Amino acid sequence: MKGAVGFLGQPVYLLFAVSGIALAFLSLYPTFFLFYGSLRSTPIGVPGEFTWSNYIRVYSDPETYQLLANTLLFAAGASGLSVLLALVLAWITVRTNAPFRRMLELTAVVPNIMPSLLVAISWVLLLNPTNGIVNEFSRATLGIAPFNVYGLPGLIYVEALVLTPLAFLIIAAALRGMDPSLEESAKTLGSGEAGVAVRITFPLIRPAILAAASLNFVRAAETFDTPAIIALPARIEVFTTKIFREAIGSFPANHNLAATYGVGLLTLTLFFVYLYRRLTSQVERYATVTGKGFRPNLIDLRGWRYPASLAALLILVLMVILPILTLFLVSIMPYYQTPKWHILQNLTTRHYVSLLQDDRISRAFQNSLFLAVVGATLCIFFAAIISYLTVKTKIVGRGLLDSLAFIPWAFPGAALAIGILWAYINFPIPIYATVWILMVAYVTRFLPYGLRSVSSTIIQIQADLEEASATCGAGFFATLRRILIPLMRPGMVAGWVILATFFVREFSCSIFLYSPGAEPLGPLLYFYYQEGSFGAMAGVGVLITLLSVLMVIGARAFTRAEIAG
Amino acid sequence: MRGTFLLGLGFFLLTFGLSPSASADVAGAKKEGKVVVYGSLETGTVNILKKAFKERYGVDLEYWWSSSTKITDRITTEFRAGKQLFDVTLNHRPLLKIMKKEGIVGTLSSPAFKFFPPELVDPEVGPAYRHVIIGILYNQAYIKDEQAPKSYEDILNPKWKGKFVMADPTRHTTTIQWLANFHKIMGKERADRFIKGLGAQKPVLVDSITPAAQKILTGEVPIGFTFTKYIVIYGKEGAKLDYVKVDKMLGDGQYMGVSSKPPHPNAAQLFIDYFLSEEAMKVLADVGETVTRRGVYPALKDADKIKFVEFDELDEKGFAEKTQEYRKIFFQ
Repeated sequence: MKGAVGFLGQPVYLLFAVSGIALAFLSLYPTFFLFYGSLRSTPIGVPGEFTWSNYIRVYSDPETYQLLANTLLFAAGASGLSVLLALVLAWITVRTNAPFRRMLELTAVVPNIMPSLLVAISWVLLLNPTNGIVNEFSRATLGIAPFNVYGLPGLIYVEALVLTPLAFLIIAAALRGMDPSLEESAKTLGSGEAGVAVRITFPLIRPAILAAASLNFVRAAETFDTPAIIALPARIEVFTTKIFREAIGSFPANHNLAATYGVGLLTLTLFFVYLYRRLTSQVERYATVTGKGFRPNLIDLRGWRYPASLAALLILVLMVILPILTLFLVSIMPYYQTPKWHILQNLTTRHYVSLLQDDRISRAFQNSLFLAVVGATLCIFFAAIISYLTVKTKIVGRGLLDSLAFIPWAFPGAALAIGILWAYINFPIPIYATVWILMVAYVTRFLPYGLRSVSSTIIQIQADLEEASATCGAGFFATLRRILIPLMRPGMVAGWVILATFFVREFSCSIFLYSPGAEPLGPLLYFYYQEGSFGAMAGVGVLITLLSVLMVIGARAFTRAEIAG
Repeated sequence: MRGTFLLGLGFFLLTFGLSPSASADVAGAKKEGKVVVYGSLETGTVNILKKAFKERYGVDLEYWWSSSTKITDRITTEFRAGKQLFDVTLNHRPLLKIMKKEGIVGTLSSPAFKFFPPELVDPEVGPAYRHVIIGILYNQAYIKDEQAPKSYEDILNPKWKGKFVMADPTRHTTTIQWLANFHKIMGKERADRFIKGLGAQKPVLVDSITPAAQKILTGEVPIGFTFTKYIVIYGKEGAKLDYVKVDKMLGDGQYMGVSSKPPHPNAAQLFIDYFLSEEAMKVLADVGETVTRRGVYPALKDADKIKFVEFDELDEKGFAEKTQEYRKIFFQ
């Protein structure tokens, strides 16, 4: 007993124990309740008994296998296409001398901060079969309207555009970190540019490509944003639409079946996260990044320089420019219809004016900003502590902490939300129907992203600084405050901004957990879309995008000032 | 003589209450500060009422719009979690009756009931203050009057295959009821044939009836089944919509429910009284709602010629059976 007190008496062990318990609670409690919900005979809050009947019902229904097939096809298609687009974009902007490549590279990251719900809505307005803007244009010029966004190809295409920035970041990093000597050797031995690309470059970055593909597969399988807008009306059932239908969209709601489908989706994503982690460990094995300072050679495209830039620009037009322009246009039209000359003469700012007057919107902005600022701060500090404990200490059991922190990463938003709903609805601290249940969900779900950005900074901090501090008589907390936190600050700020932009636009989890008095922006956008208030929805969307861009610019400026300082 | 008349008028006004808040404790409501309403009536319409309500009583109206189905699911889940956050819901009768049975909503009362035709006043959930009529609406910018269907069955013509919109009859309770009641206007055999025909036409399915109207308005799907009131609502914004005039049209009575444990009881009663007042009903009529309060007339063209047939109600078992039946017809 005395030993245990002594153990916890040391601040670092106390910190380890407290964060371990908090993390285990955040990760395991909803997991337990997701399974619990799937095994109960009655709805949330109603006494009942344990049963297998939900599993029997789900897995004896042929529809389940159809939706499994749909989910696999959708996720594989979206992931494959996103990787292809990212590869082209990354190769042009990182490895060639195509003009404007820096600007194109920066633009590629923008969709990461635009709510994907809005990207999907924009594409419905552009590609719906009857009066989608692109179809209308094509009908007027070519006499045909060839596109229909309401189908599996449309769903895959839109989700691929949403996922491309993430694949781009992974692949571009791999291309940037390559050792050029292998390529140079191949050239010396007589290979042409194309031969080098096929035989050297792509095999070298293959693990990164596979990692991006498996990561995007998981993201597509778990997303509800694009399916909510395209799959539901197109009658394509995927796991997340099914969970939504059972938990919210039907009467009476069946949270037991929603949990059972949630368990199915969780199993699927766990398998692919396992695959991803195996592949990323291979990325390290294949690592050609060494201490040597080098930059990969730029490939001279000669006459193909401008066409290459044009190709990259085309991808960016699809990913960023068209959705943003569509959104902006909708926000200034009196009511949405295909833009024609007489409509363009009646543009209005009234949706923006009404944003200021509508208290549902101002409440949602307040809620989302609160979640973004407080949530991202809580999440990043928690991530910093866990990161410190797993990277910098030799405490036995730190590996367990690392694994616990990654559970939510495999957890699809919809399944996590159903687990959280079951877990917290009758929790002794009454957080259900308040903004705090969203806070718990956001911190749990996005902790791995926070960890990723903080741990990369922590790894770089040499142990001798802490040792010097300890030698000079500073205690653990003094070292943390004076040495570690200032050194970790750039990573923490970058992580904070990423989290805050995630929190401002979060939808897949919020839609299941929010309540009318504590509604954040994601569900509000969806309901405005449902209700048909396109102008207000687009206005809010433009504001969220601007807000996120400002946050990213602010963070970049801060980081530059830190480095300069 | 004139004095007697004025005295009589004064007495009449006092008795029958031009002031809509005869039964409510206004001071108590003011102290509570707000009333929380979950409803399926459009936010734009409620915003007009909200402003007037605040100006008149200094009480905020917090409104959450969703489909009746989602509202009922939410209210039920909140109730089971021991959290009754809403005061009043604008919903339809079968769902209110189910919630009444579970003790989630209480019995509605208001001195304003007497201004509604007695046959429309339900002892538990009050008057059907408006009828929402579902018709075939089309956008005249895309479909000329002579091209539009002339009867229900005309929509089964192959030229409309996959080209009309309706709410998903496996998810949307009003639509489930609407289809289940077609036998009331065309007999069972014809109705069964019609519903099977609808499924075979593979319509564009949306979450509820409002998004269907949106698709017609934007021209994305320029024809479909939705509420006739949208002709007036969107007409005010310059849209040119019309409806197919058929012999009889099915519709739903819309009612109010009051929470069995309202967090703001006085504000809830004040809102119920205000909502059923002539002033509020006029606001609804003006935006195209077919309100039923005596002396208030809807703004929809030819509304008086519509032969309205109200849905019969389905119970929970009925909903489950019909959902299964329509799943087979519309999804297989």
